[in-house]
Amino acid sequence: MSDTTAEPPTPTPSTQAPSPRTAAPAATPMTRREVEDTFDLDALYTPEERMIRDAVREYVQSELAPHAGEWWREGIFPEHLPRAFGEMGMLGVAIPEAYGGAGATATAYGLVNREVEAADSGLRSFVSVQSSLVMWPILTYGSEDLKKAWLPRLATGEAIGCFGLTEPDAGSDPGAMTTRCKRVGDDWVIRGTKRWITSGTRADVAIIWARDEDSGRVLGFVVETDREGFRAEDIKTKASMRLSVTSELHLDDVAVPDANRLDVVGLKGALSCLSQARFGIAFGVLGAGFATLDEAMHYLEDRPSFGEPLTGKQLVQAKLADMWSDLTKGSLLAYRLGRLKDEGAITPTHISMAKRDNVRAALQAARHARDLLGGNGITTEYGAMRHMSNLETVSTYEGADAVHTLILGRALTGRAAF
Amino acid sequence: MKIVTVVRRVPDVEARVEVDGGDVRVSGAAWSLDGMDEYGVEQALRMREGGLDAEVVALAVGPADTEEVLRTALAMGADRARLLVADDADVGDVLARARLLADAIREEGADLVLTGGKQADADSAALGPALAEHLGWPLADWTTHLELDGTQVRAVHDGDAGPETLAFALPAVVTTQQGLAEPRYPTLPNIMKAKRKPLDVADAPPATPVTNVVGRAPERRERARRMLDGSLEDQARELARVLREGAA
Repeated sequence: MSDTTAEPPTPTPSTQAPSPRTAAPAATPMTRREVEDTFDLDALYTPEERMIRDAVREYVQSELAPHAGEWWREGIFPEHLPRAFGEMGMLGVAIPEAYGGAGATATAYGLVNREVEAADSGLRSFVSVQSSLVMWPILTYGSEDLKKAWLPRLATGEAIGCFGLTEPDAGSDPGAMTTRCKRVGDDWVIRGTKRWITSGTRADVAIIWARDEDSGRVLGFVVETDREGFRAEDIKTKASMRLSVTSELHLDDVAVPDANRLDVVGLKGALSCLSQARFGIAFGVLGAGFATLDEAMHYLEDRPSFGEPLTGKQLVQAKLADMWSDLTKGSLLAYRLGRLKDEGAITPTHISMAKRDNVRAALQAARHARDLLGGNGITTEYGAMRHMSNLETVSTYEGADAVHTLILGRALTGRAAF
Repeated sequence: MKIVTVVRRVPDVEARVEVDGGDVRVSGAAWSLDGMDEYGVEQALRMREGGLDAEVVALAVGPADTEEVLRTALAMGADRARLLVADDADVGDVLARARLLADAIREEGADLVLTGGKQADADSAALGPALAEHLGWPLADWTTHLELDGTQVRAVHDGDAGPETLAFALPAVVTTQQGLAEPRYPTLPNIMKAKRKPLDVADAPPATPVTNVVGRAPERRERARRMLDGSLEDQARELARVLREGAA
């Protein structure tokens, strides 16, 4: 980073204000890399982590980012993407190579999320769900047969997975789920409705959580979506995450063999999956946030107002400085979060604090960018409004902001206030 | 057969380049594998994937952290890599660099050498020809298409008057041009596997530069930054005049 010592500008008498048609002298703004890594975190990542980040960045910026606005506007998640992500090795980054994953660190998985979300939060949602909410529970709680049957195909994108926990009337309080399962001979019969399910209508396999009618405990199942009684439909009225497939699942007495049951009892199984996804989100949203900062910087530098580029205005700089500073703090937090996970020392409290704070930083950055881009900021020609709108979803899903607040409150005081 | 792809590290496109006391300093960014060298790596991999029984070796002369761009070549699919460690300032000039590389290429017993047609940083196109000269091998530069039939090579390259087709026998040096082979993205599993591939690092023998750089200065070109006024017609007329006569 260049040392830019502030010097007071020479005041220009207003009577001699330059004509708006005169270009201002060229400024030397920081490069995107400098803006995004002010505290040289690069020096702390391993060479493989840096190489993974750079390869995914190049792929995302060349193949995804230029199209994201159009896909979002049209409300389509292109069908070729799962296989393309699989070819890059972006599905199951931290899953062992033996099961088709890349076998990289949790930090590398986080960095991949960040690069993908720089294009669109909906693309990152697909990666999150496939990797953290489908592959991870199968790896962690599935039998060897389930792992062999599903993980390699999920890693290549040949198979798509979804995760069914949330219900129409049970969101922040998943324990209130009404989906039930009952043991009948060698099978379990599942009945209920799941809503807000990413990739639901595209999925070949669903991880379904249901309460056992006999024991009253929550159990998890690997449910093939071609089983009789399984039906999915898309939610088509979204004004956010338009690039992502979001569905409702209906399970009408779907029978699955006991071999498909995950080896975990209680809600903690489902919550442990969410911890994986929330970890990725804490990194991911920084991609969206920095993308809006980068876009705003370019837009404002090229946009003269009252005789000079808008980047030279104090109110504008105040917003840019806040965006930069908050996202930079988020990057430092994410780095440490990653290393704690790599060391096996991460706790749900760490994850809640990082998810809540980084989503707030990214959402605030996107709102600032939307504002700074003026009228253009409300179009899909630019990314600000799209990112802003997506981040409203990210603030709500994977533990709503309020829920993470209460998790922190409980950790701090020892009193649950949900 | 053995294909050696000679690669260099160049500043990332976002690097901040500063001239300080006759020295060029690069900061604020990572280094990356030169894009035109990448075409060479890709071409070698495609020939191997097309059925050619070949070992692909990435070779570089440079400072110790050149290892990262060799890892990129390995992540793309090269079988192994070799780094001859030497500071750019000690290597001196392109002839000395080519001599170090040519000795290593002979030692490897390479049949085909692929390298970038031009370097992204210094904009020099001399390395390929200098390599061919030191090795005494035929050269196809600015190559857009390459075919092997046994030890016979057929190469299409950009000549001054248009594409030329050359035929020659291995061993040979081929330098790349855009269009030869669009490089693949290194995949994440291959990046992780690259860590386990052999990368031989050794000090380069002393270089023997024939020139000595005594100073550097940045080239400064001020833009006129002139906006045209008047009706569209007037602006068009003035623009045509400026294009014809210069902006002064």
